Amino acid sequence: MPARGEEETWDVVYYRQVDGQTPAIDFLDGCPIKLQARFDAVLDDVSAAPPPRYSGGGRWEAMHGDMGGFYEVRVQGPNREQFRLFCILDNGSPQQLRDRGLTRPAIAVITGMRKPFMTVFDERDYARVRRLGDDYRAQLPRRIKT
Amino acid sequence: MIDTSYHRRHVTERMDDPEYRAEYERMSREIAQVNEVMRALNELREQGSMSKAELARVIGRNDAVVRRFFTAQSNPELRTIAAMAEALDADIRIVPRRKAGRRTATADVAGG
Repeated sequence: MPARGEEETWDVVYYRQVDGQTPAIDFLDGCPIKLQARFDAVLDDVSAAPPPRYSGGGRWEAMHGDMGGFYEVRVQGPNREQFRLFCILDNGSPQQLRDRGLTRPAIAVITGMRKPFMTVFDERDYARVRRLGDDYRAQLPRRIKT
Repeated sequence: MIDTSYHRRHVTERMDDPEYRAEYERMSREIAQVNEVMRALNELREQGSMSKAELARVIGRNDAVVRRFFTAQSNPELRTIAAMAEALDADIRIVPRRKAGRRTATADVAGG
C-alpha cells in the first residue's frame, strides 16, 4: 500500500440542507463527548489514508444493497448502544471537483443514527439517509457546513 | 471554492477538552494498531508476490472478499486474519509494553 502523504489527504465535509440544518453535526452534537472523539478519530484516519488504502481501524466499512455507495463509521456507546455515521466519498476528475467547489476529494458526512444493541434500523431510516445523500450529490457546488 | 476547513477547526477546538483529547488519542492508537496488522499482511503478500486472488484461494475465501479486506471496504474477523497470516507464513503477536508506569500492549504481524 502506498505511504501516507499530505498531498493525498482528503477533506472531511458535512452536508448542509437547504434550510441550513446539518444532520450529521446535529447528530454528533447529541452524542457523548467520547463518541464524538471516536468518530473524529476514524474520519481523520480515513481522510489521511483514503481508499483504496486500508484505514479506519475496522470502524469504517462500505455499505451494500440499497445503501451501496455509502460508507458507515461504526462506534459503540454506553450500554452497547450502536452509533453510525453515514458518509459518501466525493471524488472525481479535477474539473468535476472544481464544479463541486472542492479543491480535493472529500469524505462527505451526510447524517448519523443510533440504535440499541442487537436491533436494526428501519428501512424508512435508510431511505431518509439516501434522500439526504441524493440531495448532497445533486448540489453544484456542494452545500456543506463552512 | 468552498471553505472546507470546518472539520479541522472543529477538531482543533475540541482538543481543548481533556476528555475529548484523551479519547481521540486512545482511539487513534487503537485504529493504528488494526491498520498496522492489515498493512503488514498486505506487505507480506506483496513481498511474496502472492495475488489477492491467490491468497483468497489459500484461505478458502472469495477473492472479492479478500480485496475488500485490504481496502477497508469490509473488515475480516480475527480468525480470517489468522488464516491470512498462516497463508503468508507469518505469526500474529501481541507484544506487551510498559509506558509511564502502566501496562499496554501492541500487536504486529511478523513474517516467518
